[in-house]
Amino acid sequence: MLRVALKDLLARKRRLVTTSIAVVLGIAFLTGTQLLSATLSSSIRSLVGDVYQGVDAVVRSSKTTDTPFGQPLRTPVDESLLPEVQRVDGVAVAQGVVEATGSQLIGPDGKVFGGGIGPPTITYNWTTDSIMGEGAVREGRGPIRDDEMALDFTSASKLGARLGDQVKVATLKQGVRSFTLVGTVGLGSSGDRSTGAKPMFFTTPVAQAISGEVGKYNYVVVKAASGLSQRDIADRLAEALPGQQVVTGAAFVKENQEQISKFVDILNTFVSVFGWIALFVAVFIIYNTFSIIVQQRTRETALLRAVGARRRQVLGAALLEAVVVGLIASVLGLVLGIVVATSLVHLMENFFTVSGGVAMPTVATFVFAVVVGVGITVLSALIPSWRSTRIPPVAALGEVSVDRADSSRARTAWGIVVLVAGGLLIAAGLAQLGPNPLVLVGGGAVAVLVSVALVIGPTIASPISRLLARPVARFAGVAGHLAGENAARNPRRTASTAAALTIGVTLVTLIAIVATSIRESADQAIDNSIRADFVVANADVTSLGSIPNDLLGKVRALPTVAVASPMRFGLMRLLDAKARARAEGVTTTVPTGTFGVSNDAPPGDDIPVLGIDPATWFDVVGAGSMQGSPRDLGPNTMAVVKSFAEDRGWRLGQEIPVFFGATGLQELKVALIWDQNIGQGNVWLPLGTFSANQLPIFDADYQIYVKARPGASDAELRRQLDALVKDLPTVTVQDLQQYAAAQTGPIDSFLAVVYGLLGLAIIIALIGISNTLSLSILERTRELGLLRAVGMSRRQLRRTVRFEAAIIAVFGALMGLVLGIVFSAALSVSISARNPGLFTYHLPVVQLIVITVVAALAGLVAAWVPSRRAAKLDVLRAIAAP
Amino acid sequence: MTITASTDVAAAGAIDARKVYGEGDTEVRALDGVTVSFERSRFTAIMGPSGSGKSTLMHCLAGLDRLSAGRVFIGSTYLDDLSEGQLTELRRDKIGFVFQAFNLIPTLSAAENITLPMDLAGRKPDTEWMNQVIETVGLRSRLSHRPSELSGGQQQRVAVARALASRPEIVFADEPTGNLDSRSGSEILQFMRHAVTDLHQTIVMVTHDANAAAYADRVVFLADGRIVTEMADPTAASVLDMLKQIGD
Repeated sequence: MLRVALKDLLARKRRLVTTSIAVVLGIAFLTGTQLLSATLSSSIRSLVGDVYQGVDAVVRSSKTTDTPFGQPLRTPVDESLLPEVQRVDGVAVAQGVVEATGSQLIGPDGKVFGGGIGPPTITYNWTTDSIMGEGAVREGRGPIRDDEMALDFTSASKLGARLGDQVKVATLKQGVRSFTLVGTVGLGSSGDRSTGAKPMFFTTPVAQAISGEVGKYNYVVVKAASGLSQRDIADRLAEALPGQQVVTGAAFVKENQEQISKFVDILNTFVSVFGWIALFVAVFIIYNTFSIIVQQRTRETALLRAVGARRRQVLGAALLEAVVVGLIASVLGLVLGIVVATSLVHLMENFFTVSGGVAMPTVATFVFAVVVGVGITVLSALIPSWRSTRIPPVAALGEVSVDRADSSRARTAWGIVVLVAGGLLIAAGLAQLGPNPLVLVGGGAVAVLVSVALVIGPTIASPISRLLARPVARFAGVAGHLAGENAARNPRRTASTAAALTIGVTLVTLIAIVATSIRESADQAIDNSIRADFVVANADVTSLGSIPNDLLGKVRALPTVAVASPMRFGLMRLLDAKARARAEGVTTTVPTGTFGVSNDAPPGDDIPVLGIDPATWFDVVGAGSMQGSPRDLGPNTMAVVKSFAEDRGWRLGQEIPVFFGATGLQELKVALIWDQNIGQGNVWLPLGTFSANQLPIFDADYQIYVKARPGASDAELRRQLDALVKDLPTVTVQDLQQYAAAQTGPIDSFLAVVYGLLGLAIIIALIGISNTLSLSILERTRELGLLRAVGMSRRQLRRTVRFEAAIIAVFGALMGLVLGIVFSAALSVSISARNPGLFTYHLPVVQLIVITVVAALAGLVAAWVPSRRAAKLDVLRAIAAP
Repeated sequence: MTITASTDVAAAGAIDARKVYGEGDTEVRALDGVTVSFERSRFTAIMGPSGSGKSTLMHCLAGLDRLSAGRVFIGSTYLDDLSEGQLTELRRDKIGFVFQAFNLIPTLSAAENITLPMDLAGRKPDTEWMNQVIETVGLRSRLSHRPSELSGGQQQRVAVARALASRPEIVFADEPTGNLDSRSGSEILQFMRHAVTDLHQTIVMVTHDANAAAYADRVVFLADGRIVTEMADPTAASVLDMLKQIGD
């Protein structure tokens, strides 16, 4: 029996290949991301380890503040801590470290170097004989005078700066400053390895001043006297300095590694999701292929049964094929995964320096690939294989029957049950019920897709195929008609082939709709609420704080300006009853820390807050009707949008306990409640209150809204504003259209990536269509021969096959469109519920039509090879085929 | 040789047709110099033991296969000069086919199967002629049925109707009754006879059944790739006699 199965397998190599492709691609993505992760982790580990290898202990403040843009900020310590540390017994060397983000290198083009992407540019103070490892001089020397700096040698060479050159830096607090490059540094004793980051070194006072931390260090590093372990010295320091947090060098290294790993993990999760989607698509294709094979082999199987094969042997033979396909596909997938990882690492090199090349697959990776690959293949082949055991021996004698979907009531009922269950799961997930809403939504979506593919699809496949064929038949005549009938003749096959495409199209549709809705809603909100003519803004989030404090005054001084109103951006933690209940109930899956406030703060909800100037703000934004007055916004007050206040049960005049990273627990009075939610945050603090409570990095104008004097020309105002920011590389002037585009710009670049990755799922689905058609053609050999004999031209035959593919593809795309629209509607209800008045549902009709047309064209392409093969059939042999 | 296969009398024919498979020791001469013509409005049967080349002759006459040497023609057209595309058009427009089995496209109704060649050509069928054909084969009530809903005999009748529907120059039938019981078989043969006598169609039928051959006006006997003899106005008995002689 084994021999029979293996021989059969070898006789059909091509089928083996096409079946495997789907699994190969899925496995390639999954293992590729694993390898990428391993590569980056080991690279990061060694990098961070090297940087801090001389550090035995670190003394720092125990308070941290998370930022919305990256790593948490730790409250700095006063310079006076350094001599205290140095006095502790057992300390051989102690050095104060300034380590700050926010300042940027300026490239030769006058813009921020590296465009704000890539590893962060970090400001350090230069310490001679530093015990940290990142500052070994490679060329020149460290900065001694206040107009000198040193750079990592790779950044210097990318920047094209040589020793003695002037390098411009957009500093966080002091505008653009120019420094003489006096040295390049690197890792290792001779500084010949790149750190992969973009460190800039200045003298200590300069590093402190440009990052707004005058007289402060971010932490103090300690080298212990010989004979003392890291633990020993840490214990002594902790005892001597009870107000500070002390960690060992090893713990500090680990912490830093984990921080960077987090980013890599997010990236990995993101990419693996698409690997799993690809595998999910593969399931349908394998299921389909095996179903067709089993059916085509009916006679053969029956003959085996007739000569004495047991059911179990028949099942074994069918599953063996699945195992072999899965095994080959897993191994090929793993090989391709190495290629994927290599190209991803290549891509990553813009962000990290990857040392030591791409990690090779470990035994664990190999086992993972094989288990997942074989598992998925066998699982998908299980139902068709089991069906093959139901073939009675007597079938060997009869004609091969044509597959008809059993539209039995039980089947339909089950389909509806699964569909409804899926719908409920999605609803529950969107309503944030249960500990893991994302899993609910995902599981629900899978249930809906499975029921659509296996039950709903087959029920509607025939009528819809015929409907779709009608316009085709009008211009392509009988070829179109036959294509429709061929798609309709085997509804189960058509449905499961189309379902593979449905998955990709559902996701594309969903994302397109949500993205469009977000974009349109933002545009609408800006149209409705912003009364300014221009917005002076940071070029991007990494240049937070780069609008200098004196810019506002200069703008206000322009004769063409009627109003200029500043807006600052910060964070606040809410500690009211609702926030506490939520924090205790752990009902959210949103990663905590995204808008987190402080690691030692009481639990609560972290929200962004805007700092505004009450006197001018309401001239540049439309806030609708108000309770209270802007004049009431004095010290320790805040303004809240009505929907948010209602949600929290806050009333005008109420004192609300809140927590700030810089100042801890505060009480703020609700002095104004405004009506119209305009997408500018839920809580506004008057600038005085804002500045008193925020960390320095937030306490700078984020945007300035500018309104022209009546009669003044916009062009003139624009020219004047442009002139004011000429020397500020990280500040832009936007009119309202540009402002709206800048708000939604990141969505577009994110979409491009997502579409690219979903393209993979769609390509796999197309391979599935191609595969199904090849098998169908094999099955219809005699029929095709007959058609050719009675006068169908090769071209007509090719068109018949291609139109069939297009009809299947459009059918799949239409199911995807419907699901995508339904899912997005559900999602938008949930988004609107949480952001009242801010989110409106928009259907991008043109885009959806384009998706459908592209699917049809893709179907034509998928049918290219099968259609040519069909047209090449030898008529005589085809007619004589068994 | 006196080859005067006059194309204005004959609906189809072959001139010194040769078909060789393989080479050297394995060479098989399926057709070894066959010259024959088929007159218009006549029902001709081609007979011979298996391996005699009768099917090969028919396939080459019908443009399904090509000769190694010699010529075949349909009406005034020599097939050997035609490209693959032209051959397809010729089959579609000038030739009708009835095969032994699997004559119909399972996804099309009986009516759609009948008009298939004309649909492929993008031509409107001649309604009057269609009615006549459908009347002849007696299928009126079954036109909307799919092949799977028809009996074997009914399916063959649809096939005959399709072969006649485009008023072809000639109809080729390859063992049209081979898969049928004798009653359905004789029904089909009667329809074909009727189509020749009353509708003036030209039919060439390959068969090894003497009873079927008896419906023809003329029988051509083949053996070893050559025409051995022929017989006009055959009866089942005379055909059987002749087959015996050839077999000896």
